Amino acid sequence: MTETYSAPYSGPLPDLADPLTAPHWAAAREQRLAVQGCTACGALRWQPAVICPECLTTGGEWTDLAGTGTIWSYTVYHRAMNPAFRDQVPYAVAMVELDEGIRMVGKLTEHDGVAIGQRVRASYEAVTDDVTLVRWSPA
Amino acid sequence: MTDVRGATAIVGVGSTEQGQFPGLSANEIAVDAIELALADAGLTKADVDGLVTCQNLRSHAGTDEQIGLLAGLNPKFSATLDYGTGNFSLHLAIGAILTGLAETIVLCYGTNQRSAKTDFGVAVGGGADFKTVSGLVHVAGPAAMAFRRHQHLYGTTEEQLGWISVAQREWAQKNPAAIFRTPMSIDDYTSSPYLVEPLRRADLTMISDGGAALVLTTAERAADRPKAPVYVLGMAEQTALRGDQNPENLMRPWLGDVASRLWSSSGIGPQDVDLLYIQDATSVWVLQMLEWYGFCKPGEAGPFLAEGHTRPGGSLPVNTNGGQLSESYMWGWLHLCEAVRQLRGECGDRQVDAPEIAVDCSSHDFLKGAASILSTHR
Repeated sequence: MTETYSAPYSGPLPDLADPLTAPHWAAAREQRLAVQGCTACGALRWQPAVICPECLTTGGEWTDLAGTGTIWSYTVYHRAMNPAFRDQVPYAVAMVELDEGIRMVGKLTEHDGVAIGQRVRASYEAVTDDVTLVRWSPA
Repeated sequence: MTDVRGATAIVGVGSTEQGQFPGLSANEIAVDAIELALADAGLTKADVDGLVTCQNLRSHAGTDEQIGLLAGLNPKFSATLDYGTGNFSLHLAIGAILTGLAETIVLCYGTNQRSAKTDFGVAVGGGADFKTVSGLVHVAGPAAMAFRRHQHLYGTTEEQLGWISVAQREWAQKNPAAIFRTPMSIDDYTSSPYLVEPLRRADLTMISDGGAALVLTTAERAADRPKAPVYVLGMAEQTALRGDQNPENLMRPWLGDVASRLWSSSGIGPQDVDLLYIQDATSVWVLQMLEWYGFCKPGEAGPFLAEGHTRPGGSLPVNTNGGQLSESYMWGWLHLCEAVRQLRGECGDRQVDAPEIAVDCSSHDFLKGAASILSTHR
């Protein structure tokens, strides 16, 4: 009999009970990249907010994005600057310019061969039974 | 609009020993610094009618209520800023003096963040959650991305960036108060390991305990102080409170807005500056501000640094105290103290020859920028 064992995820986890951000995490569990769009002016916004910063309309509708973009810049953590990431170094984080125009920070699934201008697509890492985090992989 | 130029002057500076002081509270360190600054100004606390304090990051220490109680002050005017660098506090004090709220203001910052082991591994400001789950923790992360982008746009090299911390270490070796004085060559720099690539340990501020204070008063009152007044000739600020919604925010282009207003409102330009202080939470801030303030053209800070202009003996001395990379943390406050001491000619081995104009540029995270022009003359 073989047993597989993987250590429990030790990185920080989002608060799934926060009503402002819960729709994003629910979408990620279904492998969708969702952000808010303003129902009045149409502006997409990231991160989530209760009011549209462009036209000050309250609320917003969650909408799925294509989940594709380009690396604007990135860095590789060789040292865990927060002990929660001790198990993950080295790891790369990028600022991704999404094809819809907004920018999003995300961890990359690979840290070798990363370059500014590289095309990436969203991928989904189920780090616990309840939490799936959005990561970025070469397109 | 009231003319800032020459209306107020710094008449006293005080800095405590810098290092690690377990058992001392941030507030008592701040009050120690106040005592030193008042003595430097030849004043007593009875002469002070204003207090501007600086709250510690991720702590409630340092409010005006705590400091006023501990220092025995009931000033006419008092306020607390919950962000640092000294520049913002100085501007608040200038505003209070120019509008008659107070005449002589003491400004202070004390911290025990080293001994208290403050956690800097979490993001400053709002929206930490999404960045933190992505592993973008500590200011080193976004700073590294900003430098990588600069490299991509202009071909800037790691070695060119390294000259910032090497030059500041050279200055620190001439500063007996500096914490990091061990010699560091450019080879030492390039052979040290990455922390957050492409940044190394030497690119990041140290965290230390200590205090600093300034006494600001009207130019009229400054005239009969024992030491030469250091006049404020100009100031400017700009925020970027929308954070990542701002285009290219990691490059902090809004610092260029601070610069253009600083120069246009004062009639002074980069070519007039004898001493430059750039608050350096990371070396990348120095690189960015050399360009945004017009000391070199966009993209040319790398070669400018490698040519040695900012080193001792160079054409544009930068952070002659060693800065946060080598002197001590102090959230930029000691840059202002150093500017005053250099303009007074008190800096011993590291004294620059007869400087007349110093500029202090600083920023609070990716959210706010400020700059001040200080001078020996009105």
